Amino acid sequence: MGSRRSANWWTLWGVLILLWALFPLLWMVSLSFKDPATFRGSTPSFFPKEWTWKNYDTVFSDSLFTSALRNSAGIALIATGLSVIVAMFAAYAIARLDFPGKRLILTVALAIAMFPQAALVGPLFNMWRGLGIYDTWIGLIIPYLTFALPLSIWTMSAFFRQIPWEMEQAAQVDGATAWQAFRKVIVPLAAPGVFTTAILTFFFCWNEFLLAISLTSTDKARTVPAALSFFTGASQFESPITAIMAASVVVTIPIVILVLAFQRRIVAGLTTGAVKG
Amino acid sequence: MSEIIIKNLVKEYGDGFLAVDDVSLDIGDGEFMILVGPSGCGKSTLLRMIVGLEDITSGDLMINGQRVNDKKPRDRNLAMVFQNYALYPHLTVFENIAFPLRLRGGMSQEEIRTKVEAAADTLELTEHLKRKPGHLSGGQRQRVAMGRAIVRDADAFLFDEPLSNLDAKLRGQMRTELLRMQRRMGTTTVYVTHDQTEAMTLGDRVAVLRRGILQQVATPRELYEQPVNMFVAGFIGSPPMNFIPGEVEGGAIKLPFVTFELPAEMREAVGSRRQVNVAIRPERFEDASIADESKRSRGVTFRATVDVIEWLGNEQFAYIPYEAAHELEATLHELERELDSERMRSQLVVALDPVSKITDGTEAELWFDPRNVHLFDPESGANLTLTPTPVPADATQ
Repeated sequence: MGSRRSANWWTLWGVLILLWALFPLLWMVSLSFKDPATFRGSTPSFFPKEWTWKNYDTVFSDSLFTSALRNSAGIALIATGLSVIVAMFAAYAIARLDFPGKRLILTVALAIAMFPQAALVGPLFNMWRGLGIYDTWIGLIIPYLTFALPLSIWTMSAFFRQIPWEMEQAAQVDGATAWQAFRKVIVPLAAPGVFTTAILTFFFCWNEFLLAISLTSTDKARTVPAALSFFTGASQFESPITAIMAASVVVTIPIVILVLAFQRRIVAGLTTGAVKG
Repeated sequence: MSEIIIKNLVKEYGDGFLAVDDVSLDIGDGEFMILVGPSGCGKSTLLRMIVGLEDITSGDLMINGQRVNDKKPRDRNLAMVFQNYALYPHLTVFENIAFPLRLRGGMSQEEIRTKVEAAADTLELTEHLKRKPGHLSGGQRQRVAMGRAIVRDADAFLFDEPLSNLDAKLRGQMRTELLRMQRRMGTTTVYVTHDQTEAMTLGDRVAVLRRGILQQVATPRELYEQPVNMFVAGFIGSPPMNFIPGEVEGGAIKLPFVTFELPAEMREAVGSRRQVNVAIRPERFEDASIADESKRSRGVTFRATVDVIEWLGNEQFAYIPYEAAHELEATLHELERELDSERMRSQLVVALDPVSKITDGTEAELWFDPRNVHLFDPESGANLTLTPTPVPADATQ
C-alpha cells in the first residue's frame, strides 16, 4: 500500500508542475480567442465567454505578420540547415581525429556560446550597414549561425563519441572509404543526435528576438518575434493584446508539432544492439 | 587463399611504447594461426596492423607476395570479426551481411541475395535475416559478424577475440563450429585470443607473444612439450606448470621437498650453474601408491603433506604448500604477475588420477619421472632441456 500512496503523491506533483508550466500557454490560447473589444470586461474570466476567430483573421490579414512568418520560416530553416551541416563535420572531426588545437576550438566555441549577445548588437548594426546586409535574410542568418554552431558542435560531438569506433573500422575493413563509412554507418547512427541538434537550433533561430529587432527595419527580413512588438491590432482604438496572443499561438504551433513528431527519435537511442550491452 | 608474411614488424606509439617489437611470422596458405598472450602483449595490435587499422612503424607486411604496408584496409581484401562484433545496428541482418558486397559494387541484387542467403544458411541465420542486431542473442550476433566475413571471398579471416563475449557453454560450441568452418573453407586465418584452450584447440600453429616480442611459434603440442622459456611454459597449460627453485649439488638437484639425481643428459645441460628453476607439469605427478611398479622404479618418489584436494570427477588436484625462502622466488612471483595470475603462496599443484584415495591434510607418497622435468635458466628463463623432437617440416619456423 505504501508504494501506491507514494505513487499517488508523485502523480499529484506531476499534475501541479504541469499546471504551473501550462498556465501561461493556456492563458495565451484563451486570450487569443477573446473578443478584442470586450475582453477587458467588468467580470474577468479565464476562458472566453464567446469564442471568436476574429483575432486570427486580424493577424493573417496583416501583411506585417504574414511576411514576418515567411521571414522566420526561411531564416530559421536556412540557418538550421547550414548549422547542422557545418557542425556535423566539425563535431565528427573533433570526436574522431587528433589534431593540434582541438581543445582550443572547443574552448573558443564555448566562449562564443557564453558571449553576451547584447554586447555585439551595436557593432553588428554598424558593420551590417557598412556591408550592406542590414535588414536582409543573410544579415540574420550569419549571426544565428555564429551563436547556434557552438552548441551544435558540442552536442553532436558528444553523440559521435558514443558511436563505437569499431563500427567505422568494421566498415573500412568491409571495403568502405572514409566517406562511405561516414555516410552509411556514422550518419545513420548519429541521426538522433543530428535531429536533436537540428531541432534545438531551429528553436533558437525561431525564437530569437534581440538580433531580429536590432538588425532589421522593414518587412524584408523582420521575423515574427520582432514583428510582434510592432503589432497594433485591427484598429488603433483596440488593444493589440488578443491579436498578439493569436500570433503567438500561430508561431508556437510549429514548435509543438516538431516536438511531438520527433520526441521518439530524440529519446530512442538508435545504437542499442550495436555492441554487446 | 593467401599467404601472409610478416617481416620484422614494429609498432611504436608516439610516447615511445613498443607495442609490437620486431615480430616475424610466416602464415601459410590455409593455415590457422593463433596469436596468444596475456593482456597488453601486443597480439591485438599485431592483428590490427595486418588488417590495416594500425599504422606500421617499420618492417614489411606481405600478402600474397605483395607489400601492403601502405594499403588502406579496404584494399587488403581481408575480413575481420571484432570482439564486440561491430554490427551495424541500423541495418537488418541481411543488410549487415550484404554490406561488404554492396560497397564493392558491380553485383546485381540477385547475386547479392544468393550470396547472403548462402552465408546465412551456413550459419543458420536464415530465419533472422529480417531482424535487427539489437534483437539477437549474443551467439546470433556473433554468427552475423562471421556471416559478414565469409560472404565475400576474402583472402584471409582475422578474428579479434571473437568468443570472449559469449558465456562458457556457447563459447565451446562456437569454437568447434568455427574450426569446422575454417577447415571446410580452407581460408587462411589469424585468430587473436588470450584463452589458451582456444589457442590449443583451434590453431595449426600458435604464436606466443610477451610485451610485443614473439616468444615461440609452434604447434600446440610442441608448445606444450617443448616450451622455449619459462614464459611460454607458464602460459600454456592449465593448471599452470609448477616452477620450483632448485639448488644444484653435484649431479643432484635439491628441491624444497625432495632431492633427486639428474639424468645424464640433463646434467650436461645444467653445466656449472648453481641454481636452476625446475618445472614439472601437474599431470606428470602420480600417486605412488597406485603407480605401476615398473614405473616407480624409473622415477623419484617423495612424501609430502597435501593441504587441499579438489575432486572434479575426471581428475583431481592436490595442493601441496612448501617452504621457499629462496632468492629465485622473487623472479617466479614476477613471472606469475605477468601471466595475469596471483601467486598467493609457494605451492605445488598435482593432478592425480581420480581413483587416488589421498585426502586433505594427510601425508601422501607421490611419484614423478625426472626425465619429464624441464630445467630453466634462472636468469634468462631459457629452457635448458629442449630436445629437438621430430616435427613435421611445415610446422617448424
